[in-house]
Amino acid sequence: MTELILQALYSGLLQGGSYALIALGLALVFGSMNVINLAHGELVLLSAYIAYTVESKLGWNPVFSIPVALVVVCLASVIVYSVVGRIKKNREINSLILTYGIGVILTNAILLIWKADVRSTGSSWLQEAFVVGPFYSMRSEVLFFAVSIVMIVGLWWWLSRSWYGRAVRAVSSNRDAAKLMGIDPRYTELVSFVVAGILATFAGVALFSYGVISPEVGNTLTVKAFIITVLAGIGSIPGVLIAAVLLGIAEALTVTLASSALQELSSMALFLLVLFIMPNGLFGAKGRRG
Amino acid sequence: MKLDANVNFDQSAKANRTLQLKSTGTIVALLVAVYLGVPLVFGQDNYVMSMLVAALVIGGIALSWALLGNLGGMVSFGHAAFFGVGAYTSAIMSMKLGLPVLLAIPMGGVGAVLASLVMLPVLRLKGPYFALAILAYANIFRILATEWTSMTGGSGGLASIPRLPQMMGIDFSSKTGSYLIILTIVLIFAGFYYLIRRSHYGLALRAMHESEDATRVVGVNSTLLKGMMLLVSAFMCGVTGAFNAHYINFLEPDYAFSGLWVTIPIVAAIFGGYRTITGPIVGAVVVYLIDQLVFKAIIPSGHQLVLGVLLVGMIVFSPDGLLDLARKLIRRNHAAT
Repeated sequence: MTELILQALYSGLLQGGSYALIALGLALVFGSMNVINLAHGELVLLSAYIAYTVESKLGWNPVFSIPVALVVVCLASVIVYSVVGRIKKNREINSLILTYGIGVILTNAILLIWKADVRSTGSSWLQEAFVVGPFYSMRSEVLFFAVSIVMIVGLWWWLSRSWYGRAVRAVSSNRDAAKLMGIDPRYTELVSFVVAGILATFAGVALFSYGVISPEVGNTLTVKAFIITVLAGIGSIPGVLIAAVLLGIAEALTVTLASSALQELSSMALFLLVLFIMPNGLFGAKGRRG
Repeated sequence: MKLDANVNFDQSAKANRTLQLKSTGTIVALLVAVYLGVPLVFGQDNYVMSMLVAALVIGGIALSWALLGNLGGMVSFGHAAFFGVGAYTSAIMSMKLGLPVLLAIPMGGVGAVLASLVMLPVLRLKGPYFALAILAYANIFRILATEWTSMTGGSGGLASIPRLPQMMGIDFSSKTGSYLIILTIVLIFAGFYYLIRRSHYGLALRAMHESEDATRVVGVNSTLLKGMMLLVSAFMCGVTGAFNAHYINFLEPDYAFSGLWVTIPIVAAIFGGYRTITGPIVGAVVVYLIDQLVFKAIIPSGHQLVLGVLLVGMIVFSPDGLLDLARKLIRRNHAAT
């Protein structure tokens, strides 16, 4: 039994890495523009389907789809930004409905292009077992956990050290003051959407490499990303990672100890619990470092 | 000057009265058309009637969604929860307790209200937090419906749910009979919505829309009012779901809590103008019929893509609905002449 639980903790940790990658894109846009991009999960899914196409048509490892996926997903993300930027009044409510609509478009476009079938990778290299001491996982899970950690550290560095990253943070904390300092807020918002697109690309390729995809999971991904953002509290990158791991572990434990049908229930329950007990999230108050 | 103002006032009052008389006349004419005209013309055509029933079901949800959005200022992505809970409550009450169908349908609304009571803590949240928390509830209810097999039949669903009854020589389980029932339900909702909007609650709610803080300062309990709107909206949506369950006689969790019950009503309400009462209903009929008759014929699977495009287009170009856009254009033309 202990072994099972330890294994669940390990799987949850690895899963959490990928969740963090999905959530960071959403959190970044939310932080910089105060817009929840409800189409973010669909962007991740789009990247996953590009990985599928590269694998099934060219026979390459899905990892090599990243350059193509980067171009397509970032372009899609920029399109989302340009539409959201056109909203004039009631931005909070209208941007929600708008990105929801974009999500519907993307889901159905994916359905039209790739059909409703469930897909997963055929690469045996990715699916091979990877053993660390007593723990088992697929090679892809460990690989993309490492990739996530690198991306997260990179994002943290970018936001805290680079000029553009600091501009994004400046705009998110005070748009007018940032303008006075010579920062073009529209440009930094565009940059944050592009970075969100890059994160979504890697998350999508990871998703395809270790899991199964079908057109309707985009919505679930968005909801999970939002749950993690809320758990973490706005503006904390380490918080997002910890919250994502927490969610991954909660789900893995539910599957091990109860049933896989209740997996989604556990994440929803966690979400509501945190919302009601700590509306600022686990790290929202103190961890405002970006 | 004073006299002038009075005369003006008098004239405008008279104009108002004639306008009112005119609009009463239009309403009566419309009622006659939808209650007698539609069944007489299309009554024999089961296909058309079933389309109209489905469109009115969407209209009921769209109206309840718009009520929460307009009066309560809350966007919900979780109305599938109320629809599904209402459907299951009514179906189970009529099947297990033997309640007559026409009593079970309002009980479906009560079930949805109870479900919304669990959601009341969500009212503390704003904007996206509210929208997604309510979505989380919808997922929880769907999982409950799937897992609580003894009550709901699990993922296999409930079959042979009692039909709508036969009364006064009219078979309400027929397409035309069902049409009359859902039409009545939706019109009663619309009337109720109108009364709420006209009452001082409506005034307070409209004031809240401008500035919630200012409204609280003058002593309006805004959380209570928003809570009431959530309950009313849940009731309407639950009754609609209950009607639908008895109309199609079959329920399964993935159908009852489907995301479709969120997408199409939102598109319909935004299309028709969610700040008006007639907008969501008209929008539902138009959007649903166009979707089924035109888009579905062109793209059999994935035709919701067009709905998404419609939604995006409306929000970008005319967030207050097509009727509003038309009104603006007419006004501009008037001003020009």
